[in-house]
Amino acid sequence: MASIQLLQRWVIASLLVGGTIGAAEIEFARDIQPILSEHCYSCHGPSTTSRKAGLRLDVQEGALGAGKSGKLAIVPGNAEQSELIRRLGSADPDEVMPPPETGKKPSADQVRLLKRWIQSGSRWGQHWAFVPPALPAVPKPRYWKSGNPIDAFVLAQLGSAKRLAPPAEPGRLLRRLSLDLTGLPPTPQEIVAFEGRPTREHYLQEVQRLVGSPRYGERMATDWLDLARFADTHGFQADRYRPVWPWRDWVIGAFNRHLPFDQFVQWQVAGDLLPNATQEQRLATTFNRLHLQNEEGGIVEEEYRVAYNVDRVNTFGTAFLGMTFECSRCHDHKYDPISQKEFYQFFAFFQNIDESGQSVYFGDIMPVPTLLLSTTNQETQLQGLNARIQTGEGQLQQMAEAARPAFVQWRSKGVPQPSEVSGAVARFSFDGMVSNAFSSTVGTHRAQPFEGPQSVVGRFGKALQLSGENGVSMPGIGHFSRADPFSLALWIRPALHLPRQTVIHHSSAWMDAGSRGYEILLEDGRIAVGLHHMWPGNALKVRTRQMAPVGGWTHVAFAYDGSSRASGLKVYLDGKRAEVEVVRDNLWKDITYGQPNLTIGQRMRDFGFKQGQVDELQVFDRTISPVEAAVLAGRELPTDEDSQFEHFLLTQHAPYRAAVESLLKLRREQNALVTSIPDIMVMEEMKTPKPAYVLRRGAYDQPGDSVTMETPAVMGRLPAGAPRNRLGLTQWLLDPSHPLMGRVTVNRVWQQFFGKGLVETSDNFGLQGAAPTHRDLLDWLAVSFVRGNESLGLRPWNLQDLQRLIVTSDTYRQTSNVKPKDWAEDPDNRWLARGPARRLSAEMLRDQALFASGLMVDKVGGPSVKPYHPDGLWEMTMGGGHYPLGKGDDLYRRSLYTYWKRTVPPPSMMTLDAADRSYCVVRRQATSTPLQALVLLNDPQMVEASRHVAGRMLREGGVGADQQVRYAFALVTGRRPTQQEVSVLRRLLEEQLAHFQKDIVAAERLLKVGEKPVLGEHPPAQLAAATVLAQLLFNHDETVMRR
Amino acid sequence: MNRREFFGRFGLGLGGAALSGLMAGDARAGAAGPFSGILPAGHLAPKAKRVIYLFMSGGPSQLETFDYKPELVKRTGEDLPASVRMGQRLTGMSAQQATLPMAGSIFKFARAGQSGTWISELLPWTAKVADDLCVIRSLHTEAINHDPAITFFQTGSQIAGRPSFGSWLSYGLGSANQNLPAFVVLISKDRIDQPLYSRLWGNGFLPSQHQGVLFRSGKDPVLYLQNPDGVSGESRRKLLDRWAEMEHLQFRDLGDPEINARVAQYEMAYRMQTSVPDVMNLSGEPESVFELYGPEAKNPGTFAANCLLARRLAERDVRFIQLYHPGWDQHGGLPGGIRRQCGDVDRASYALITDLKQRGMLDDTLVIWGGEFGRTNYSQGKLTATDYGRDHHPRCFSVWMAGAGIRGGVSHGRTDEFGYNIVEDPVHVHDLQATALHQLGIHHERLTFRFQGRDYRLTDVHGNVIQPILS
Repeated sequence: MASIQLLQRWVIASLLVGGTIGAAEIEFARDIQPILSEHCYSCHGPSTTSRKAGLRLDVQEGALGAGKSGKLAIVPGNAEQSELIRRLGSADPDEVMPPPETGKKPSADQVRLLKRWIQSGSRWGQHWAFVPPALPAVPKPRYWKSGNPIDAFVLAQLGSAKRLAPPAEPGRLLRRLSLDLTGLPPTPQEIVAFEGRPTREHYLQEVQRLVGSPRYGERMATDWLDLARFADTHGFQADRYRPVWPWRDWVIGAFNRHLPFDQFVQWQVAGDLLPNATQEQRLATTFNRLHLQNEEGGIVEEEYRVAYNVDRVNTFGTAFLGMTFECSRCHDHKYDPISQKEFYQFFAFFQNIDESGQSVYFGDIMPVPTLLLSTTNQETQLQGLNARIQTGEGQLQQMAEAARPAFVQWRSKGVPQPSEVSGAVARFSFDGMVSNAFSSTVGTHRAQPFEGPQSVVGRFGKALQLSGENGVSMPGIGHFSRADPFSLALWIRPALHLPRQTVIHHSSAWMDAGSRGYEILLEDGRIAVGLHHMWPGNALKVRTRQMAPVGGWTHVAFAYDGSSRASGLKVYLDGKRAEVEVVRDNLWKDITYGQPNLTIGQRMRDFGFKQGQVDELQVFDRTISPVEAAVLAGRELPTDEDSQFEHFLLTQHAPYRAAVESLLKLRREQNALVTSIPDIMVMEEMKTPKPAYVLRRGAYDQPGDSVTMETPAVMGRLPAGAPRNRLGLTQWLLDPSHPLMGRVTVNRVWQQFFGKGLVETSDNFGLQGAAPTHRDLLDWLAVSFVRGNESLGLRPWNLQDLQRLIVTSDTYRQTSNVKPKDWAEDPDNRWLARGPARRLSAEMLRDQALFASGLMVDKVGGPSVKPYHPDGLWEMTMGGGHYPLGKGDDLYRRSLYTYWKRTVPPPSMMTLDAADRSYCVVRRQATSTPLQALVLLNDPQMVEASRHVAGRMLREGGVGADQQVRYAFALVTGRRPTQQEVSVLRRLLEEQLAHFQKDIVAAERLLKVGEKPVLGEHPPAQLAAATVLAQLLFNHDETVMRR
Repeated sequence: MNRREFFGRFGLGLGGAALSGLMAGDARAGAAGPFSGILPAGHLAPKAKRVIYLFMSGGPSQLETFDYKPELVKRTGEDLPASVRMGQRLTGMSAQQATLPMAGSIFKFARAGQSGTWISELLPWTAKVADDLCVIRSLHTEAINHDPAITFFQTGSQIAGRPSFGSWLSYGLGSANQNLPAFVVLISKDRIDQPLYSRLWGNGFLPSQHQGVLFRSGKDPVLYLQNPDGVSGESRRKLLDRWAEMEHLQFRDLGDPEINARVAQYEMAYRMQTSVPDVMNLSGEPESVFELYGPEAKNPGTFAANCLLARRLAERDVRFIQLYHPGWDQHGGLPGGIRRQCGDVDRASYALITDLKQRGMLDDTLVIWGGEFGRTNYSQGKLTATDYGRDHHPRCFSVWMAGAGIRGGVSHGRTDEFGYNIVEDPVHVHDLQATALHQLGIHHERLTFRFQGRDYRLTDVHGNVIQPILS
C-alpha cells in the first residue's frame, strides 16, 4: 500500500512541479481515478447499495450529472463551480468530503490535481487495465545497446541521463539465473566454467540448459501450486489425505515439455469440455477442485457446495484476471465495476458438476466427480474387459431372441404358479423374538433390534413399528457388489409422507459415508432405490412415480441385474412393475466397503422411517422376475408376454442363465480392476447446468433472481459462437484482445524474476491495485506474449520464450551491488536501475541446503513425502496421531514434494513465508523474523545438511584448513571468499574445534542429528567443528539471499 | 567479541530501529520505529494493555454453566415446541431426530456474590469472583459446526485464511516486550476432541511476524528454539559472533540495509532462547501461588499451569495470550463430560482473576472466557433421568469478560425461558471483538489492512461496541 502511495506521489509531483505541464498530460485513469477510488468510491462508486446522495463518480455520466441535491459534482472547465471541489475544501464537518469518520483525506497536491483536471475539461477515461493493451512503440533511449526491448523501456523510464548498472559478477549472475529458473543453485564447477567464459553466447547456453532441465518444471510448478491452492489434505476438521499429487506431477510435466501457456490454462479450466478430451486434459481440471473440502459431520451440504464454487470464482479472478471477485459475492463491488449479479453469472460457469458439499468422513473416498487414473496398461485391460462385457450383453440379447420358440412352447403349457421364489439368502417375518433377536427362516442370520422398535400386528403376523430412530440391524447379509445381481422385497406401511425417510439400507452412513452401498428411501411417499459409490457423482438412483399410501401396506421389491445401469434396476410396487424416473445413472465404482449391517428404519445422521412399519423382509442373491415379484406380493401374476418371457429367461432357460453367469464373471473382473485403480477429483460438466441465482448477502439459503452464465461487462462478453460453458469462458479469456489475461500473466512472470511485478499488486489490477511502474513495458510484454513476435523469436503464449527474453535483458543481468546513494534513492528498486536481490523462498532455502550437502534425491514426481517435522503437532489435530516421519530418500526430496497438511502445514516453511495453501495466492510475503533465524539454525534438516557439507569439506576440500574453508564457502554460497572472510571462518573453526575437543560427547551428539551418516571416517571434534562452520554458511547473507 | 560487541559493531541502532513489531518485520520497514504497531497511539484512550483469552473449544453448554432455565427443567422430556424453534436450522447431527426432547440441566444453580449472578454448582470457584465478571448470556454466532465457528471467533470470518485476533493486535499495537512474541498461544494437553489448527493463530495476509507463537510444555517450548543436540550455549554464542562478523563484511561490501535487519532478528532469536524458557519455568513461583491455582498448576500443560503461565506472560506485557481448553463437545454423556471440564477450568479461572487483581493487573488486562457456540436445549440422542447430550447451538450462549474497564457483577442479555432464543440484548461475535478492541484503544472499523484490493478488518463489515457493559 505504501508503495502505491509512493508511486502516486511521484506521479503527482511530476505533474505539478513547476506547473509547466499542460493539462492534456493529465490522464484520468492514471492520475485522477486512483484518487477518486481511494477517497470517494466506497460511497460514490459502482455499488448501488452503499451509494450516498445518488452520486456516483466511477462513470462519466454519474460524475458529470447531478446528485440528489441537484448540484453538479463536476462542471467541466470550472473547478470553482464544481461541488466536488467545494466539498473537499469545506471547513464544515457536516459538509466536508470525505466525511471525517472515514479517516480519509486527500492530500493538498491531490486536490490541486483534481482542480487542474476539472479546469482543463475533466477528460474521462477508463481504468487502464480494462482497456485492451495495444503494442506500444519501443523507445530508443540514448544508452540502449542491447537490442532487447525490455531494456529500452526501462532506460526510457529512468530518463535520458541514466544508465543501467553494470552486469553482475558472473558467479552471482549464474546463481541468480539458476535459482530463478530451477530453484537450485549451480554447482561450483558450473560457476567456474561460466566465469571462465562469461560471454553472451555462453550465458544463453546456460539459459537453454536450465530451461531444458527437469528441475525447471519443478521450480515453475512451485509457484503454480500456490496459485492453485494445492495441498495434500482437505483442510477442514479431520483434514483427511487426498491423493491429488498426480495433478501436481502433470503441472511439472506440462512446464517441462513447454506446453503452450494458453493450452496449459485452457486444460485446467475446461479440459473436460474439449472435443474427445484425453485423460491428461481431464486430469488438468483437478485445478478447480483443489479448494478446501469439509467432511465434518452435521454440516449443511449446500452451504459448503456454494463455498467451494465461490472459491473457484475467486481463484479464477485472482489467477487470470488479477481481480478480487470476492467483494461482489455479498454486494456490488465498491471499487471495481463488477456487480453482484455479474459475480453469480460467473459463479454459474463453475458449479455444473455433480458434487457434494460434504466430503466423506468414513473411508477414503475421493470427492466426486472423479477421473480414473488408469495406466496405459490398465486402460487396455479395461477396454478389453468392457468390450467383452458389451459382447456378452449382446450375446445375452441374442440368446433371449433365440429363446423365443422355447418360450412359446413353455407358455403354451400354461405358466406355472411358483409357490416360492428361489435364491433367498435371508427371510425375516419379524414374528417371534428369541433372545432379543429375530431369526431368518433361511440360513442362520439374525436381526437385532436396537433402541426398541415395537412389535405390532403386521401384514402377516407381527411387524416392526419404527420411530425414526430405532430399527433392526442384520449382520452378515447382503454384501453385494455392483456386479452382483440381487433383489430385495418387504412390506411397508408409512404413517406419514416426508421429504426423506430411510426404510432399509446397506451402508455406514448417509453423507458422512457418501451413501456408499444400497438403499430404499421414501421421498414424499415415492420409493427411491439407490446403489452408490458416492452420492451424487458416482451413483445410480431411480424413483417411482407412484406413491406408497399413508396408513396402508404396500409391497416393495427391487430387482437388480448387476449391470450398473438404471435400466437394470426394476422396482415393483404390490407386485407390479413401477414406472420410475431416473435420478442418477452414473455408477462406475463399487458400492462395497467393509461389511456394514443391512439395517431397517434408521441410518447415521439420516432421516429414519419415522412412525413406519415394516414386515416380511426377503433378500435374494439373484434378479427376481416380474412373476416372482407378484408372487412375493401375493398378487395375481402378470399375464403379459414381456413379463412372462423375462420370467422364463431368468428361471427356466438354462443357456440364458449360463450366459448371465459368464457375464457376471466378467463384470466382477471389471469391477475388481476399476476398484483397484485410484481416481482423482476433476471437473465433469453435467448435461444440464444447475440453476443459478444471485445469493442475497452471499448466503447459500437466500436465492434471489435467477442468472445464467456470462462474463463481467467491463471485460467484454463471450465471443460470438463460443459455447456458454467453461470452454467458452476460456475462449473469452484467451482471446488476444482480452484486457487482463496477458497483462496479469506476464506480470506474474516478471515477478518470478524481479521479486515484484511491474504491477506490484500482482493479485489486483483493479482500481485499488497499484499502478504499473512501467505501463508501456507491461503492455508490450503482454501483447508480444499473447500474439508472439517473430523478429524476436517469441512464439504466441510461449512462456519459455518470454522468460528467455527477460533473463537475457541487461535489466535482469545488472549487478544488485550498488552505491549507498542508489539504495537510498530507490530502496524498493522500483525503477530497476540495479539488479533484483531478494531472500530465497522457503523451498529454495531447504533445497539449496540439500543440494550443497549432496543429500538431495533428484527424483521428479510421485506421492508427497514427509521430511523432518517437529513432534507433537499432528497430535493436536483430529485423529492426526503422530507425524509419520518418512524414511531414506523421502527425507531428501525437493520441498515441493513435502506433504502439505492444511491444518498443520510444515512449520519451517510457514515461518519462511510459504503461502497458506487455503486459497489462491500469487504473491508471497517477504519478511524477516527471529523465528526464521531459529529455523535456519536449529531445524534438524539444516543441521544434517551442515554435517554433510562438513563431510564434503573434509573429504573433497583439499589439504589444510585454508583450502577446506574456501571449498565449503564456495560450495554453499557460490562465490570465492575474501581473505578477510577466510580468516573469520578459520577463527570459527579453531574455536569450535577447541570447544569440541574438550567435549567429545557433545561433538558426537551433534553428529547424530539427522538420519544419514557422513561418508568416510572423521575425528568427531573436527567434523563437529566443520558442521558449525557450515551452519554459519547456511545463515550467511550470500546464501540466504539471491543477489 | 563479547555479547555487547556482537551487535554493537553495526552502530545503526539495530537493537531498536529495525525491530518494528516485536517479531520485527519487513526488512525495509525499519522506519516504523521500535516495537510499534501501525497505530502508535491507538484511536481511543485504552483501558486494556493486553488480553488473556480462555477459549473453551468444543462449545460449552450454557445451560449447565451460566444460563439458568428453571422452566426448561420443568418441561424436561417434552418435545421442543415448533413455536420456539421457528424453523431455524439444526446441524445434520440432530436434524433427523424423530423428536427433540427438551432437557433441563440436572445441575443446580445459585446466586453468587453481591451481584447475585446465577452460576451453576459446577463452577463453585468461579462463583467466588462473580462480582468481577460480566456474564453475557446473549452471544450468538453464524456458524453451526466447529471448524467454521472457531475460525469465526478467532478471525472474524468462517473462511480460512484471515488473520487471527492476536495477529491484528500485534499488527495494530506492536509489542511491549523486546524478548517475547506479542502473541502467544497455550493449549491444554490431553483434552483434544475437536482439532485446533495453526490457522487459528495464523497471520493470514498480515506480515508473518504477527503470527501467534505456540508455547508448548516440554523440552522445545517454541518450535526450533533449542540448539541442536550437542551445541552448547557457548558454542552457539561463538558461532553467532563469527556470523555477525561475516554479515558485517557483507554489509560493508554490499550496503544492503536488509543485512542489518536480519542481524537484528538473530539478536532477538538469541534472546528468546533465554527469555522463553525463563517465562515458562514456574519453579520460582511461591507456594502460595500454587495454593491459589490448585495442585494441577504444577503439572505442565494443564489448564491451571497455563493460566499461571498466562499471568507470567501478562506481567511481561505480552499483548495477546490465547489459551485453548478443548473437550467441551458433549453430543452425548453431557453431565459426566461437563463435570470433568468444569473441574479442569473452574479453580484456575478463579485463580487467574484473583491473582491479576492482587497484583493490580486486572485493571489493564482483559480476560475473556467462552467457546465457539452453545448447545441445544433439547437432548441429542436419548434423554434419561441422569444422562443426555446436546447438539451445537449457535443461537444463544454465554461467555464472560472481566477486567480492563468491563463492569463486574453484570449479567448482560437474556434468553427465553426455554434457553433457545435471545429475547434481550443480542451480542454478535463481531460485537464481542469490537468491544475487546475498543478496550484496547482501537476503533474496530479503523484497524484495517489492504489485501487484494480490499481493506480487511477483524470485524469484517459488522460489529458494535457493547456499551452497557463498559464502566
